[in-house]
Amino acid sequence: MTVTSERVVTTRSARLTAHIGSHAQTIAIGAVLVLLLIFFSFSADRFASVGNLLNLIRQISPTLIVAVAMTFVISTAGIDLSVGSTVALSGSLLAIVLQQGWDPTLALIAILALGAAIGFVNGWFSSYQGIPAFIVTLAMLSILRGTALRATEGYSTPIDGELWIVQLGQGRIAGVPVPAILAVVIALLGWLVLTRTPFGRYVVGLGSNGESLRRTGVNTRRVGLTVYVLAGLAAALAGVLIATRLSSGSSNAGTGFELEVITAVVLGGTSLFGGRASMLGTIFGALTLGVIANGLVLLHVSPFYVQIVQGSILLLAIFANNKMWARFGAVRK
Amino acid sequence: MTDYEATGADRVVMRDIRKRYGMVDALRGANLRVGAGEVVGLVGDNAAGKSTLMKVLAGTVVPDSGQIVFDGRQVSFATPRDARELGIEMVYQDLALCDDIDVAGNLFLGREPRRAGGLLLDIKRMHEDARRQLDALNIRIPLTDIPVGGLSGGQRQAVAIARAVTFGPKLLILDEPTAALAVAEVETVLELIKTVSSQGVSVILITHRLQDLFRVCDRLCVMYEGTLRADLDARTTSLERLVSEIVAHDQPEGARS
Ligand SMILES: Nc1ncnc2c1ncn2[C@@H]1O[C@H](COP(=O)(O)OP(=O)(O)OP(=O)(O)O)[C@@H](O)[C@H]1O
Ligand SMILES: [Mg+2]
Repeated sequence: MTVTSERVVTTRSARLTAHIGSHAQTIAIGAVLVLLLIFFSFSADRFASVGNLLNLIRQISPTLIVAVAMTFVISTAGIDLSVGSTVALSGSLLAIVLQQGWDPTLALIAILALGAAIGFVNGWFSSYQGIPAFIVTLAMLSILRGTALRATEGYSTPIDGELWIVQLGQGRIAGVPVPAILAVVIALLGWLVLTRTPFGRYVVGLGSNGESLRRTGVNTRRVGLTVYVLAGLAAALAGVLIATRLSSGSSNAGTGFELEVITAVVLGGTSLFGGRASMLGTIFGALTLGVIANGLVLLHVSPFYVQIVQGSILLLAIFANNKMWARFGAVRK
Repeated sequence: MTDYEATGADRVVMRDIRKRYGMVDALRGANLRVGAGEVVGLVGDNAAGKSTLMKVLAGTVVPDSGQIVFDGRQVSFATPRDARELGIEMVYQDLALCDDIDVAGNLFLGREPRRAGGLLLDIKRMHEDARRQLDALNIRIPLTDIPVGGLSGGQRQAVAIARAVTFGPKLLILDEPTAALAVAEVETVLELIKTVSSQGVSVILITHRLQDLFRVCDRLCVMYEGTLRADLDARTTSLERLVSEIVAHDQPEGARS
């Protein structure tokens, strides 16, 4: 009898350890987010209003959208540094082709296709040719930024406010900003795909032990390529949202955007070494960055402090997380 | 001795398989024959090429040249999927599990039960089926929803074995499946081999535990430096003879053709 009950106890604690272990960072960043929300609600008058919170989600929506896709990329132990440049190129080209009189719907489709094509090239080099994704996407970062500068000659191109496409960045449905709606829908879809579909399973498996996944008969190269296509697509959409929000396409848009996106993903507990992924964590991570930026501005703190605080939170969250891993003694790479 | 022309009773015949890794000649024209329901022990020194030959058979390694005949048909495997579709399952020496994925997920990796027209994983059924499979194989792993990275070495090995057996293979390849197992678990695996082979499944067992080979094998194949050196009848061969075939480097004898 004692033996059985002992076994049940170890079983329960094993499950608890495993589950807390794998969700420790998500829990930690969730706690940080709640603390920040409480802090700013009390310190900044206008922070806790519905209007401001919707505004906050709108502000962070490009980051959130790309972070969802980046979660897939990083889960495979990859990285995509070219998303910021993709934002610049897609926004610039959108403004240019609209100015040349393209139909907005056609322009949108073309820009999204361009983003997917950029991702395809990234994925082909890294997944099919075995070149480290860091190098491939670093090169692509440079190429795309240069192309955007060349296309615009460094000037920003205005977008006619009468076109329907401007509603993507500025419109509201039932009072909710369109970018916020898009971001929430994409985040939910991303969560569903990562946790509930075979593809999501293979993405995690690829990052965990790619050779093992290959031996089970899964086409690992195709999985590896697909995540970059998703990232390119998401970055192009983010570029469209930013350009239509500002009514202009600029080749300087999205500078440092890739780092913000990666920060959000890593804050959420997705491992840079692959295999461990948390879409919920990514959502929390992106919101945390948004709350810091929004809250500090409302407190009239110099915007220069925003990045300092965001960086410190990243360092602290990872530090605390390491301590927690040790506490629960869970497996870790 | 045995010649490597396929006959009707053969499940698989491998002929003149060659594989080079840079300067290393891993396989230098290896042959192997396994009958239906037969248990073949594959032995040899470290680096003799046992694992490589079996990876060729499982589609994980594409050989430079050579022929494989499976159930009377000449086949060639470009990917592991091709081999799996024919009913060839392998437990790899390094186990090949995804540490971050849970027990049930590893069991069904690549062949997950699905719902909603194939779009979504049927996670509930995955755990139920995993539980049933583990229980049927007498494998004591209390939870199917914890990552395999947290299991003991023996439990991980058990998961790898369960994965290979679950989908009813025609040919089961076990590359040192008992290296990390406790005594009782080794017995379970040996029983399992007897059970599946009596059902007509062919088994290739690689192990350095020679005493186990005599308990379950019909034939013993000895590899030496990338070739098959001897093909022995397990019932008439003594342990001394087997050991001398494995270690004696200077007496080329047996089935090298
Ligand atoms: N992927 C690889 N790259 C380079 N060399 C390899 C590779 N796989 C195997 N080899 C080489 O091929 C030879 C045969 O290796 P293999 O793993 O087949 O031996 P083995 O008989 O299984 O040995 P062991 O009993 O130690 O498992 C070795 O010399 C090994 O170094
Ligand atoms: Mg081996």
